[in-house]
Formats: sequence, C-alpha cells, structure tokens
Amino acid sequence: MSGRRFYNGGFVKGIGRRSFLLKAGLVTGGIFLSGCLRKIKPNTTYKNISGSIKGPNAKAGHILRDKLPLPAPATTRKVKTLIVGGGISGLSAAWHLQKQGYNDFELLELENHTGGNAHYGSNSTSAYPLGAHYVTIANNEDTPLINFYRECGIITGFENGLPVYNEYYLCFDPEERLLINGQWQEGLVPDFGLPAADKAQVKKFFVLIEELKKAKGNDGKHAFDIPLDNSSADEKYRSLDKISFAEYLKQQGFHSAYLLWYLNYCCKDDYGQQIQKVSAWAGLHYFASRRGKAANAEPNAVLTWPEGNGWLTKQLAASVAPRIIKNNICYSLSHQSDGKLAVQVYDIAKGTSATIIADNVIMATPQFVNKKILKDVNRGVNYDAMHYSPWFIANITVKGLPQSKGAGLCWDNVAYNTPSVGYVNAGQQAISMTNGKRVLTWYLPLCDHEPRVARLAAYTRTYEQWLDMMMPELEFMHPGISDFIEHVECWIWGHGMISPAVNYIWGADRQAAKQPINNNLFFAHTDLSGISIFEEAFHQGLRAAEQVLAYNGKHANA
Amino acid sequence: MNKKLHALLLLSVFVVATCGLIYELIAGTLASYLLGDSVTQFSTIIGAYLFSMGIGSWISKYFDKNIISWFIQLELLVGLVGGTSSTILFLVFESAASFRIILYSLVGLTGILVGLEIPLLMRILKDRYEFKDLVSNIFTFDYIGALLASIIFPLLLIPYLGLVKTSYMVGMLNVAVALIVCFNFRKEIKAVAYLQTSGIICILLLLAGFVYANAITNFSESLTYNETIIYSKSTPYQRIILTKKGKVLRLFLNGNLQFSSDDEYRYHEALVHPGLQALPNAQNVLVMGGGDGLAVREILKYPNIKSVTLVDLDKGMTGLFKSNPALLALNKNSLLSPKVKVVNADAFSWLRADKQKFDFMVIDFPDPSNYSVGKLYTNSFYKLAKGALAPGGIMVVQSTSPYVAPKSFWTVDTTLRSVGLRTIPYHNNVPSFGEWGYIMATENPSYKKPDHFVPELRFITKESLDLMFYFPKDMAKVKTDVNKLNNQVLVKYFEDEWSTVL
Ligand SMILES: Cc1cc2nc3c(=O)[nH]c(=O)nc-3n(C[C@H](O)[C@H](O)[C@H](O)COP(=O)(O)OP(=O)(O)OC[C@H]3O[C@@H](n4cnc5c(N)ncnc54)[C@H](O)[C@@H]3O)c2cc1C
Repeated sequence: MSGRRFYNGGFVKGIGRRSFLLKAGLVTGGIFLSGCLRKIKPNTTYKNISGSIKGPNAKAGHILRDKLPLPAPATTRKVKTLIVGGGISGLSAAWHLQKQGYNDFELLELENHTGGNAHYGSNSTSAYPLGAHYVTIANNEDTPLINFYRECGIITGFENGLPVYNEYYLCFDPEERLLINGQWQEGLVPDFGLPAADKAQVKKFFVLIEELKKAKGNDGKHAFDIPLDNSSADEKYRSLDKISFAEYLKQQGFHSAYLLWYLNYCCKDDYGQQIQKVSAWAGLHYFASRRGKAANAEPNAVLTWPEGNGWLTKQLAASVAPRIIKNNICYSLSHQSDGKLAVQVYDIAKGTSATIIADNVIMATPQFVNKKILKDVNRGVNYDAMHYSPWFIANITVKGLPQSKGAGLCWDNVAYNTPSVGYVNAGQQAISMTNGKRVLTWYLPLCDHEPRVARLAAYTRTYEQWLDMMMPELEFMHPGISDFIEHVECWIWGHGMISPAVNYIWGADRQAAKQPINNNLFFAHTDLSGISIFEEAFHQGLRAAEQVLAYNGKHANA
Repeated sequence: MNKKLHALLLLSVFVVATCGLIYELIAGTLASYLLGDSVTQFSTIIGAYLFSMGIGSWISKYFDKNIISWFIQLELLVGLVGGTSSTILFLVFESAASFRIILYSLVGLTGILVGLEIPLLMRILKDRYEFKDLVSNIFTFDYIGALLASIIFPLLLIPYLGLVKTSYMVGMLNVAVALIVCFNFRKEIKAVAYLQTSGIICILLLLAGFVYANAITNFSESLTYNETIIYSKSTPYQRIILTKKGKVLRLFLNGNLQFSSDDEYRYHEALVHPGLQALPNAQNVLVMGGGDGLAVREILKYPNIKSVTLVDLDKGMTGLFKSNPALLALNKNSLLSPKVKVVNADAFSWLRADKQKFDFMVIDFPDPSNYSVGKLYTNSFYKLAKGALAPGGIMVVQSTSPYVAPKSFWTVDTTLRSVGLRTIPYHNNVPSFGEWGYIMATENPSYKKPDHFVPELRFITKESLDLMFYFPKDMAKVKTDVNKLNNQVLVKYFEDEWSTVL
C-alpha cells in the first residue's frame, strides 16, 4: 500500500492548504520517525500475532486521479440503465428496479465483491464485519424497508399489527456492557459509580429524547425521521442543524462529564466524529428518529449477523446477481450530443476499457469519487463541504478472554474514556457453544485530527504501529489479553462515512448534490443523506430507482 | 564374621521385608482408591501378591552361581519396578480400559521379585551363620519389618508423602540395600563397577521421580482427603472431575455436581420413566446432553426401543463414560450398546439440521447458569425440538429446582408453552441435589399417567408418581416471561435465585 500515502494529495487545495500541509507534515513525520525508531529497537511483544493491513482497492484511487494510464476504450455497448457502485445504495436501487419489473439495467462495481462499506471477511473461527455491522428494527411506518425485511426473512410475520422479527437475527443476549469505574456494567449508558447529579443529567437527557421522539413539526411530520428527508421542515427543529451538538448540549445545561462522554461516544460510533464536529440535529437524530416496535423484541432492538451488514448485502445482491459486473471501475462520464450518457469503464481484472452508452445512470458512488468521474459535468456542487471520517477496523482473533469483573462478554463491549468505540463479538449470533475462540471486531474512528490529516496519518502507519495504538487499550479493557491474541487483521477506510457537520444536512450543498442532471443522471449515496446508515442507503437507492422508473414512464407506484 | 557385617546384613533383611510389604500395601490401596470396593480389591491384591511371592521362592532354586551378584541385581529391579509402579498405575488409569490387567501384572511382577529376595538372602547368609540362628534371625527381622511397614504406611507414609513419593522412597531403599551389599562383598563378586554404576543410576532415576513426580504426587495426595479426585481433565468445553468417597462416585462439570452415584437413580428414573413408560410404542429416542449415559441406561430398559441417539458436545465426556470401568459399571455399558449412536456435536446446531423425528426426547443440559447454556433453554430451541418430535411424542426437560429456583423452573414451563406445547411439570427429591424439577412437553391433548413400570426401578412407582405431579404451595407456579435468545431472562432468574443459596 505504499502508494497510498499520496492518495489525497490531489484533494487539497485553496483555503487552509498551508496549515494542512504543516499539520500533515508534522503528523506523518512523527509517525515515520517513530516507525524508524521501532525498526532500530524492534520489540518482540507481538511475536505471536500475525496479520496485515488491508482496505478498499488501492488501484481505484490512482485511476480516479489519472495516475495510471488506461487503455483507450476498445468496445462500446448499450445499456438502458447503468448503476455505478455496488454498495447498499446501488444494490437497493437495483433491487427496487427489479421488484418493479424493470430489468434493463447493469450494475458496475470496482471491487471484486459488492457491499461497499458493509463488506465483511472471514477466517476459520468466524465471519466478521469490516465496516457496517448492525441495523435497528425498522420504524413501523417505513413500509418499503419492512417489505424488504419480510422478503429476506428478517421479519417472519405479524402479531397484533407488530412485526415479528427472526429470533436468530435479533441480537442475542447479553447485548452491551461498559467498562467504567473499574467494573463492567450492563448497558452502555454510564451508571455504575456515577454520582447522583450525573445520574440525574442522564435521566434528564433521556426524558428530552422521549419528547423529541414523539415531537412533530408544524407540517405534521416527525421532527426526526428515517429516511431523514421525511423529517419535518419546521424551523424549530431544522435550525438545530446550524449549531454543533456540543453547543446545543451546553445551551440545554447538560454538563455532566459522564453524559457528555456517552453522547460523544455515540457520535463517534455512528458518525465517526466528535460532538463538536456534528450538528445538533444529527446528534439528536441518532436518538430521536428510531421508533421501531416489534412483537417479540424491545423497541429499537438491534439486528446483527456474524458478517454484519454483509449479510444484508448478500440478500440484496442475490436477486440481481446476474446483472452485477464486478472488477469494473467507472472513471469518466459525460453527456453525448444526443443526450445519452457515455460512460467510460476500466476492467481491473482484464486490463481493458470499454464505453457504455446508457439512457440513464444512477451514480451510487460517493461524491468525492463523483468529483473525479464527473469532471465534465456541471453539477454546481461544492464538494469541499463534504467531509468523510476515516476509520480503522481490527478483526482480532483470540483464543479466549481473560477473566474480568462484572458483566461477561457481550455483543458490544465499550470502555469509558478510550479512543476507540470498543469491539463487537462477531460470533454473538452463533448458536453453538464455542471453545473460547472468537473474532472481536474493534472500531477506531480516526477523529483526533481533521479528516484529511487523520487519513494521511492512517495510510502512513505500519502494522506494528497500529498494534501499538490498539494494544494498550485492549490491555486496559482486559489485562493479559495480549497472550490470547493470535491474529489481527487491520482494515482502513480512508473515507469511511460522511460526517453530518454543522449545516450540512439542511444546508444548500446537500440539496444541490441530490439534484439529477438532465433528468437522466441520478444520484444515490449515503453522503447525500449526511448520515451513513443502512436505512438511508436503502432509501437513497429506492429514490433513485423511482427517478429512473419515472423517466422511463413506467412508474408503477409501489 | 565381623559385627558390622552381621548387623548390616540383618538390616538388609529388615529393609527388604519392610519394602516388600509396603509394595503390597501400595498396590492394594491404589486398587481400592481407583476401582472402589476396598475389601475385594485388597483381598485379591494380597492373594495375587502372596501367590507371586510363592512363584518367586520357587524360582530361587534355579539360581546357582554368583548369588550375591544376582541378589544385587534383583534389588535394583525391585527398586525400579516397585518405585515406579504407582506412577505407572496412575498414568494409565485414565486411559486404559485394561487397567486391571496392568494392575495385576505389576502386582505379579513385584510379588515374584520380592519372593526371590529372602531365599536368595538366606543362601548368601547360610555359610556365615548357624542354620538355627539364621532362620530365627531372618524370620524375626522379616516380621518386625512387616509390622513396621503396616504401621508407618498408613500413619506416616501416606499422610506425609502420598502414594507416589512413598513408592519412590521405598524403591530407593531397595537400591540402597543393593549398594550396601555390593560394597561389602566387593571382594567376592565380579563386575563390581558395573553393579555400582547401575545402582547409582537407579537411585538417581528414583530420586528424580521422587522430586519431579509432584504433579502425580499432588494428585495422589488428594487421595488421602475425604473426597478423592480420581479423574480430572480439561476438554475444550469444560473441566470434568470425577471424585470418589467410599463407594460413591461424583461427577462435576466446571465445578457443578452432575450426579452422585448413590442417588443418581432417583434423578434418572424421574427424568425418563414418567414419559417413556407412557409411550408403549416408542422406538426412537433422542437424548441431548447426558453424555454420562445414565439416562440412556434407563431408556434401554424398554425392549421396544430400537434406537437411541445421544447428542453431547463433549467427546471427552462420552469417551470417559465409554471406557472407565467404574463408570461403565454405573451406566451399565449403555453407551456401548449397539442400539445407541453417540454424536459429539453442539445440540442447537445439530437439532437445527436434524431431519429425523423422535418418539421420546430427553433434554438434559447443565443448568442455565450462563448465556451459552441459556440458549438451550430458549423458545427458539424448543421450537426446533418440537419440530423433531414425532406425532404423539413426548419430550422431557431437566428444569433445575422448583424449590430453590421457582422462577427459573416456571420460566422453562412458560417457554415450552409459548411454542405451543402442553406441559406436565413434576419433581422429586434427589438428596444430593435437593428438590428437583422436570417438565414433560407434548403436542398431545392429554398425557396418560402410566399405571405400571418396567421392573427393577428403585424409586418410581404409580404412587410416587402422584406425589411428583403435585406441587405444594412453596413451589407453586409463578408467572414469568418467555426465555428468548435476545432476552435470556432465565439466566438472570437463575443467577438471582441460586446466588441466595450458594
Ligand atoms: C466503519 C464503519 C462502520 C459502519 N457501521 C455501520 C453500522 O453498524 N450500521 C449501519 O447502518 N451503517 C454503518 N456504516 C455506514 C455504511 O457506510 C452504510 O450503512 C452503507 O453501507 C453505505 O452504503 P452506500 O451504498 O451509500 O455507500 P458505499 O458503501 O460507499 O458504496 C459505494 C460503492 O461504490 C463502489 N464504487 C466507488 N467508486 C466506484 C467507481 N468509480 N466505479 C465503480 N464502483 C465504484 C464502491 O466500491 C462501493 O461498493 C458504517 C460505515 C463504516 C465506514
């Protein structure tokens, strides 16, 4: 991955360039130096740990920045509808088109697998997520999502009007624990050892959330909804997008360190950013938009699989598999004089290029990629308004876990006041007894520096340096765990997820980026929602698919 | 003949005699510890030992020349065989089905060697003593040695050294005799250097055994305590410990008592017969958990049963109950029956893949004390179990104590009902567990109480069954939630209820 460290060079320009270069230089220089020192004084602490660093296809970055000379397109073919990108958004668009009886489409994916950020891996111990790992049960009025869940067996029926969820997919007990004040407590909301005043603040916050869950704006819509574009336009709520979550909490008189830690943890967990960096609207949305009820589970119950949302990817992809073309990167797209779209694609496996002439195209790719592909298309979009949080994921194969005080291993395991957002037990949904061997998926949002710097730093670090970052925290959580670790597979998402920065969700930039071009070039990606969750990706795909159907005059309103 | 040599030789007689008896005592003790029934073990061991000694004396007449040299070599051999015998027996006990053969071979060998000692010694001494003195001296010291052995063995050696170290120590004494004799008669024998070196090597070997056999020693020392651990093994899934006190065997999994051989019949009869006796046409039975084969033993009492499938996670467990003589005696070789198929698999996964239907099903898992085992008590699991039940079939679930843990017990009931099964809860008293509970579940609209039972039952009768079905006030039904994979209430109840007891 040596070339990786230049990956973002091209994105840096204009304001802040100098300070960026300075910071980037300092940070990567530091990492480089410590790397050299490490080489001089190699330490053998990790000698029983094997593994490597991986990430999304590195070639793609070079191709998109014209760093690799590509062969001229040798063939031309026609496709009615082309979907570019096989993440959840693109797959959902394909799934929906097919559901509506529209089959004249192809889906291009640059990787040798679909799924995007919901990708997964596996080893002899377990399958494990490499990115997205869970969803919560659907809001009951989200009919399209409920229909999808029914179709793939997540919902098995209805009782008293409430969906019955597949009990093998509902997160098995015990679900969550938090290491706080020297003990593992049940649940993630800080409680053990909290002074009464802090407990009162925690309670007050959740009272507020209960109100916001029920709140509706003057247009009769929910203040916070999923997909978020269904939320009320009432200024009372939308104005919350104009301040940071941290600012909002201060205004509301929330100052308990424990509560603030928890809310910051939640923002890191869902948005990869800290409370100062996300808008209050986004921060509250996380809590107030989920109103799912089930016949056989708690409200907002979690659904998960060993391979995380990779399982959902498989369900979406299964029905459209024949129309998926993998290992194909779209590197340029422009309108022809006849209004059709000329799409240039490069086959990474074969090393050949082709032109696809399409009537219409859904770009289910992130905007930082579209910026490169659509150089010749005038979208009027300010790409610099979009910030993507980098993530580091480690899948840790352990042969057991040392004994600890309090609650035992859960699905989600978090330690108070640590940089990471903890780890999930990938084998939580396994029904068989284990012999103690497991895979733990450890999530570290790289949000200590601004994303560009953090990303560059991430690409600079060596395997040992990542272990240097992880191990102290893991040892803090589980003294003695080092001896139990056999393998650590590292994965870096340079542009993990869009961050819902202040004024992004309800500002002009997102609105502009969502607009179709010439009514035949459509867009679907979670960065157009501003919040990166499965449900948003799903609805992004459905919305774009509906636009295609409308264009083709075949709109069969579902 | 000088005074010194005189005393030395008599000391040798004394030591040889003491050691000989101690070997016999070690073998007897070990056999009764490991195999139980001390009267039988002791008398057969002593019999075999004495008989072998007889053979030894008889063989002694074939030794003509170089008697001293032979005697020295014999002592070395006695020291080695006797010294290592208890180690060998401990080590093979776990694995060998033919443990008795090894035991009696060792006893026989030691007996023969010890039987040779005194006759040879007498012949060494015969030219140096008056025959009259010789016989009286030798016998006096032989008997004093025996007396000493029988006193110090139980009072000093076993409590302070344990069986293994005692053997090594006694072995060293034998070798020491060899060396002393060798030194004193060095002018009369050939190859002194060879004999001395061998002796020293033997001493060192035995010393090493004495020092390093600590693991075995710990194990053997535990034999002297009240409850003796006679088997312990960590499998990938659990720690199996088998203990013995008097005649009673107890099995512990991860420290939890699974059965006690003196009253397990109460548990296993209650688990099996109320259900199976009510199914006169039952042919295929499934047992999940219960790798001890004790439930299977009860099931095989019905001639109508054609096949029993036993699904137990742990090969270590079923393997033990297929091979250990004491345990085979307990489960009446049930796991070796041609009708029985043992499957080592995770019950949940196995059941999910299972296509076969069963007339009767025994669900005998460890108590739901953690979330992993708790999964086997969920509605999801019972749904699968219901799917594997043949029409008219009955399943029975061991359901912890309705007296100590009523909420836990009735949660199992509620959970079984939640998947559309009719339940018939019952209980009995198993002294080593206390008041214990079971729940039968069936899709049948009614359950007909059997009015007779297979012969040879020690606990269940028609009358006792009526009592078992009756729940007094202190165990009466309570309302509980359903135990689910995503909300394991049972583990929480169980922990609460038992923590107040333990
Ligand atoms: C670490 C991490 C954890 C997460 N955890 C969760 C979670 O627990 N729950 C949850 O709901 N969400 C989670 N998410 C959010 C997750 O990103 C979304 O749920 C969803 O998977 C996003 O889907 P998407 O289709 O919008 O985008 P992407 O996943 O980015 O899909 C874009 C696709 O386009 C392809 N592509 C890009 N460029 C080209 C090109 N030029 N040509 C062809 N193909 C191209 C990419 O390879 C990719 O497959 C997580 C994200 C990360 C990074």
